[in-house]
Amino acid sequence: MAHIKIEDLTFSYPNSGFNALESVSLEVGAGEFLLVIGRSGCGKSTLLRHLKPALAPHGERSGRVLFDAFPVEELPEREQAARIGFVFQHPDDQIVTDKVWHELAFGLESLGLSKERIRLRVAEMASYFSLEDMFYRGVDELSGGQKQLLNLASVMAMEPDVLILDEPTSQLDPIAATEFLSTVKKLNTELGLTVIMSEHRLEEAMPFADRTAVMEAGRITVCAEPRETAKALFEMGSPMFRAMPSAARISCAVRPGDTPALTVNEGREFVSRLSPEKKSIPLPALKKPAEAPLLRADGLFFRYEKDGRDILKGLDIELCRGGIYGLVGGNGAGKSTLLSVLSGQNAPYRGRLTLNGKRLKPRFSAFENRIAHLDQDPRTLFSAETVEEDLYNAAASRNEEGAKERVLAIAELMDAADCLKRHPFDLSGGEQQRAAIAKVLLTEPEVLLLDEPTKGMDAAVKEAFGKKLLELKETGLAILVVSHDIEFCAEFSDRAGFMFDGSVSSENSARGFFCENTFYTTAANRIARGFFENALLTEEVIGLASE
Amino acid sequence: MPQSEEKAKRARVLGVIASALVLFVLVPGVIALGVAVWDNRKYFLISILILILSMLPFFLSFERRKPSVRELVTLAAMIAIGVAGRAAFYMVPQFKPSAAITIITGAAFGAGPGFVAGAMIAFVSNFIFGQGPWTPWQMEAMGVMGFLAGLLFYRRDGRLPKLVPLVIYGAAAAFLVYGIIADTSTIFTANSQVSWQTLLAAYSSGIVFNLIHAAATAIFLLILARPLLKKLNRIRVKYGILEA
Amino acid sequence: MRRDAFNFVHPAVSMLFFLFVTLITAFVLHPVITGISLAAACVYYIMIKGKKGVLFCLSFALPVMLLVAVINPLFNHAGTRILFYLWNGNAVTLEAVLYGVNSACMFAALIIWCACLTSVMSADKYVCLFGGLIPTLSLLFSMVLRFVPRLLSRIRRVSAAQLGVAPPIGKSPVKGVKHGLSVVSVTVSWALESAVNMSDSMKSRGYGLKGRTSYSLFRFDGRDLVLTAVLVVSFAASCAACALKAVWFRYYPSIKFTPPGFFPIAGCAAFALLCFVPVLLNVKEDITWRILRSRI
Repeated sequence: MAHIKIEDLTFSYPNSGFNALESVSLEVGAGEFLLVIGRSGCGKSTLLRHLKPALAPHGERSGRVLFDAFPVEELPEREQAARIGFVFQHPDDQIVTDKVWHELAFGLESLGLSKERIRLRVAEMASYFSLEDMFYRGVDELSGGQKQLLNLASVMAMEPDVLILDEPTSQLDPIAATEFLSTVKKLNTELGLTVIMSEHRLEEAMPFADRTAVMEAGRITVCAEPRETAKALFEMGSPMFRAMPSAARISCAVRPGDTPALTVNEGREFVSRLSPEKKSIPLPALKKPAEAPLLRADGLFFRYEKDGRDILKGLDIELCRGGIYGLVGGNGAGKSTLLSVLSGQNAPYRGRLTLNGKRLKPRFSAFENRIAHLDQDPRTLFSAETVEEDLYNAAASRNEEGAKERVLAIAELMDAADCLKRHPFDLSGGEQQRAAIAKVLLTEPEVLLLDEPTKGMDAAVKEAFGKKLLELKETGLAILVVSHDIEFCAEFSDRAGFMFDGSVSSENSARGFFCENTFYTTAANRIARGFFENALLTEEVIGLASE
Repeated sequence: MPQSEEKAKRARVLGVIASALVLFVLVPGVIALGVAVWDNRKYFLISILILILSMLPFFLSFERRKPSVRELVTLAAMIAIGVAGRAAFYMVPQFKPSAAITIITGAAFGAGPGFVAGAMIAFVSNFIFGQGPWTPWQMEAMGVMGFLAGLLFYRRDGRLPKLVPLVIYGAAAAFLVYGIIADTSTIFTANSQVSWQTLLAAYSSGIVFNLIHAAATAIFLLILARPLLKKLNRIRVKYGILEA
Repeated sequence: MRRDAFNFVHPAVSMLFFLFVTLITAFVLHPVITGISLAAACVYYIMIKGKKGVLFCLSFALPVMLLVAVINPLFNHAGTRILFYLWNGNAVTLEAVLYGVNSACMFAALIIWCACLTSVMSADKYVCLFGGLIPTLSLLFSMVLRFVPRLLSRIRRVSAAQLGVAPPIGKSPVKGVKHGLSVVSVTVSWALESAVNMSDSMKSRGYGLKGRTSYSLFRFDGRDLVLTAVLVVSFAASCAACALKAVWFRYYPSIKFTPPGFFPIAGCAAFALLCFVPVLLNVKEDITWRILRSRI
C-alpha cells in the first residue's frame, strides 16, 4: 500500500489565473526516497506544502492527498505535526529559539511531551547528529550547514514517518550540502524513513533517490527510477535534461538506447568502454593580456583585529577588462574578506591596490572608483517599494539626466523589464539576482565583484545568468566571481584561481586551472580524466566521445 | 463563523476595559493607599510591587488570547528591531528609537500587543544594558506608551494612521508618560520623601533628557512610521497575518 | 573570573535568593542590615567579576549615591538635631543626613545585587522559570533573543552592501541619515519576511496544539532542596526579627533603635547567612576541590 498517495491534485493561487498544480497524481511507498525536480517556479514547493495541511497554501483546490489511505486533512493535528516532518530552504529562518538544546526540544514541547521524554529524545538527537559540542551554544554561533543539520535533527526528534525537504541545500556550500544529503540518505536507509525532497543539486542527490518526479509547469511529466528519468527526459528533449548529472548527460547523448550512467564512477566506466584511444583538447597558451590589468592587488595583508590572525596573507590578484575571473576555495579561506578589501570597505595594513595604474587610498570609495561589490544575498540591496524606484535611485546617484531611459535599457539587458513594477521581495531568487545586478550596473562600474552569485539558482537560471555575464564582459567590464560553484566558474570564467589560507595559491587560465585540480573541478572532467585530457564541460566530453 | 468573531471581539473589548481600569484606576489607587497607610517611607518596594502587579493583567490577557503564530513572530521581529535600535544608538543618551518602534507596534497590532512589545523591549534591552531597580519602571513606561498608541491609532481595517497626530502623540508620550514614570522612579529608588519639592526637583532635573527623548521619538516616528507601517501592511496583505 | 558555583543551582533557587535579599534590603532601612547586604553583594560580585568589576559598578553607582545622600537632607527637614541652616532658612538635621547615607548605601547594595542577578540569571533561566507559567510570552522572549543578534549582523551586512554601490557619505549628515534609513528599511523588510518563514517552521512543528509543555535543562536536585530550605529559614528568621522589632531602627523624629542583645544579633546573623549563601557555596566548593586534589 502506498504510504502517500496524491490523487488528481489541481491547485491555483487566488487571482493568479493559472493552475500552479495541474492534476498531479503520485504514489510514494513507505521507506521510499523520492526526489522532486524541476525549474524554479514549476510548482515543487506548492506540491510539497500540500502534503502537510498546516503549510498548505490558500487557493482553489481539487483532488485528494491520502496519508496511509486517509485524507491527510482528516488526520488529527497532533499526528499531522509529528508524523510529517518538513525542512525548509533557509537554514536561518526556521530556527525559532536562541539555544541549540531548546530548538531540538521545540517540536516536542508543542506535542506536550513530559520533561523526561523530551530529555531522552533531545539527547538521542544531539548525539546522532553530532550536535553534542554545540548543545549549550547559541544558534547564531553555528555555520549554515550546522544550522540545517539542527533543523533536520529538531524535525527528526518528533519521530516522523515521512520527511519532506524543500530545497534544503540551496543555501549551503558544496561540502555542507553533500554532508546534509548523505545524512538524509542515512536516515532513509537506517530508519526506513520515507523521504520526499525537492533539490537543484542533482549531481549529488540523484544517485541517492529511488525515484525522481520531474515537474514542468505544475504537471508531473516523468516519474521513474533516476536512470529511466534521465533517459526519458533525453528522449523528450526536455530542457530539464540540462540539469541531469554529467554522467547521465554524456551517456545519454553518446549511446541513446543504453541505460544511462549516473555517478562519476559509472560515467568513467562508460567512457572507458567507449574509446580505447586517448584524446585531448589543447590547453590554450597562457598569453599575457594585451593591456595592463584594470584592478591589481599586490601582496595584500589584512586582519580584523590588531592581535587577530591574518585573513589575507600576501595576496596578489589581477583583474583585466573584458575578463571573468573565477575564484574558488573552501569556507574560511578569506574570499569574502578579499571582496571587502577590493571594494574599499576594509583597508589592508600592508600591500597595495592599484586601479588603472593609480594607487588606491585606504578606505577609498568604491562608487567613485567605479568598483561595485554585490553581496551574496541580493535582498540586502533593495530599499524601495518597487524595483523601478530602486533602479532609478541607483541611476540618479551617478547622473540624474536620462536616468529613466538608462533604467529601462539596463532592465531590458538584464531581462528584468517585467519586474519593474513589482516589490523587490516578491521576485523569485533568479529575478532578484538579475534586478540586483541591474541596480549595480546602473552605477556604471568598471569592476564588478560578485560574491556567490549563483547561490540557490537552478540549472537553467544559472545558465542564463552565465550568458548574461559573458555579454557584460564584452562591454569591457572586469568581473570577479567568488564562488563555491565550480561548474559555473569552469563554464563561464576565463581565468581561475584557488584561494587558500589568505592567498591565491594557484592561478591559470580557467581550463588549465580546473584540469589540474583533482577535487576542485567539474564532474565532466573527473569522468573524462585519463581518457580525454583537458575536457572540462559535459558538451566537450560528449563531443570527443561521439567522434 | 460570525458568532466566534463576535465573542472574540467582546473578549477583546473587555480586555481593553479591564487593562485600562487597572492602568488608570487601580495603580494610582494602590499608590495612594500605600502612601497613606504605609507612611514609613517604603515607597521603593511598594512602587515596584505595584508595577509588577499592574503589568500582570496585560501579560495574562496576551497569554490567554493565544495570538496566532504569525502575529507572534512578527511581534518578535518588531521587538527585536526595537532592542537592536536601542543598541545601535547607545552612544547618544536618550536618543533611541525604541519608543518609536513601540508606538508603531501599538498602532499596527493594537493596545495589548503594544504593551507587551514596549515592556519586552525594555526588559530584553536591559540584558545588554544591565538589569536594575529601573527595569520594572522602564517596562511599565514603554508598555503604557505602546498601549496608548494602540488605543489611539490601531485600526482593525488596516488603514494607516495619520502621521502628524502619531508624531505629536509620540513626542508627548515620550515626554509625559515615559518622562514622568522614569523620573518618579528616581525618587522612589532614592527612597526619599515624596513631596512636591522632591517631585519638582526630579522632574526639572530630568527635563533635558526627556526633551531629547521626545525629540528623538518624534524624529524616528516621522521617518520610520510610514515605511514601517506600510511594510507591516504588505506582510498583512500578502500572508493574511493579524486577522483574528 | 572563576567558575561560579551559584550559577549552577536551579534557576528557581537563584531567583528566590535574589528576591529574598532585595526584599529585605529594600524594606528594612537599618544600618547593620544595609551594611551586611552591601558587604555580601560586593564580596560575591568580586568573586564572579574580579575587583575591576566592582570598581566599575561603584563608579556607576557612586554619583547616584551622592545625589541620594545629598538630596535627602536638602528636602527633608524632619529630625531633632540641627546641624546648620540653609540659605532659605530650612534646617539640615543629623537624622536626615544619616538617613540619606543609609539610603545611598542601600541603593548601592541593590545596584550590585542587580549586577549579580544580570550575571547569574541568563536568558534561558528566565525561560525555564516562566516557560510553564506564561508559555507564549516566554517563547516570544526566546524568539526576540534569537532575532536580536541576527538583526545586528544583518544591519552591518546591509550597510556594507549598500555602501558598496552608493556614493560615499563623507561628512554629510543628510547622506548619513539617508543611508541609515535605507539600511533600516531593508533590514525591517528582511526581518518581516524571515518572521513569516519562521512561523511556517513553527506551525509545521505543531506549535499551537493544546497542552504545550515546557522543557528546560535544569533539574531540581537534592542540593537545590537544601539550599531552598536554608534560604527560606534564614529569610523567615530575618523577617520575624524585623516584625518583632528585634531588628529595628528609626530615623525620625529622632534616632532610636533596639539595643544589641541575643535576638537582634541572631536576626542579623540570619540575614547574613541569607546574603552570603552564594559566597559560602563557592567557598565550600573550593575547599572540596582542595581536599580532593590533596588526596591525589
